[in-house]
Amino acid sequence: MAAQKLLLPYNFSDSDRKALDFAVSTFGHRDDIEVTIFHAHTPLPSIDVSSETVTGRLSQNINYLSQKVSEVETSLQEVKAELVRRGFSNDRVKLKFKPRKKEIAAEIIDLHAGEKFNLLVLNRKAGRIGRFFTGSVHAKVAAALRNATVCIVC
Amino acid sequence: MGIEEKIDIDVFKVVTRAIAEAENLELMTGHLSQLLVVALGIKGCSIFALNHESQELEILGSFGLSVGYVNKGPVLSAKSIARTVKGEPIVVTDTSNSDLLQYPQEAIVEGVRAVVSLPITLHGRVIGALRLYHYDVWEVSERDLDSLMLLAEIIGLALMYTRLRYALLSVKETTNEIHTVWLEPFGV
Repeated sequence: MAAQKLLLPYNFSDSDRKALDFAVSTFGHRDDIEVTIFHAHTPLPSIDVSSETVTGRLSQNINYLSQKVSEVETSLQEVKAELVRRGFSNDRVKLKFKPRKKEIAAEIIDLHAGEKFNLLVLNRKAGRIGRFFTGSVHAKVAAALRNATVCIVC
Repeated sequence: MGIEEKIDIDVFKVVTRAIAEAENLELMTGHLSQLLVVALGIKGCSIFALNHESQELEILGSFGLSVGYVNKGPVLSAKSIARTVKGEPIVVTDTSNSDLLQYPQEAIVEGVRAVVSLPITLHGRVIGALRLYHYDVWEVSERDLDSLMLLAEIIGLALMYTRLRYALLSVKETTNEIHTVWLEPFGV
């Protein structure tokens, strides 16, 4: 059993890629670390309308949404395969792919509360306007956690 | 034959309800993108915020586009369908025959044949863009374009609401951290 549990939230951005590279270069050679790659995808919207016309049209295309969500899951499996190629053993890399119910910081905090990770590798891109609207994910996560080491890759 | 109109009141209702009911910005932009994709039968959708310092359009949410296309590089407001940031809706009906795109080759590889770009405005200023991507040549009717412009304005209001809500939550968190000892000088 791995002595250390590492959480790597991953959303396929360039900054996530940097965080992944950091995780590989820093922890890839250690066999006492188990990595969980975490992605919370946007769940399919519930469509509740009275008009049969629009419901029909939307439901015709809803399979496209499901297909796209499956593609994201496949991409996440490719990230796992890359970690394995770059040094982690297959049984030390786990995937967590779930529908997002809360904002991403809250999802990460909830996951940590359940699984008690020792290490979290987050990332931060300077000057992003997105933070103006919702605040900083890494700041929210770091402020909420106890008994964990948080690495922030910039 | 006239151009097909894709947006009626029922579609508009479903999409605006997704904006109104979302609990956070990530879900709002995600669901809005998904619903526009299925309602219009298009390939993908992105919602950007304009970073006025870097003059980049930063993705807040998207759906239907590949990871490679989303991460193709910085989307510069001056190079990528530039007139959108001047407040104009732009329809690129055929990407193979347009000089408006910043990444035309990547669009071809992605299978994006048409792009509709709409400014997201607030108080008359552009704060972002709503972009729709189709895998085929796309003629958009005037009425659909009007509806999409209206939708982009609603997104602008939703973004402002999100910002104000975040400010309120920050104030609440800060006040929650204040111990009563600082508020009750007479030791009640």
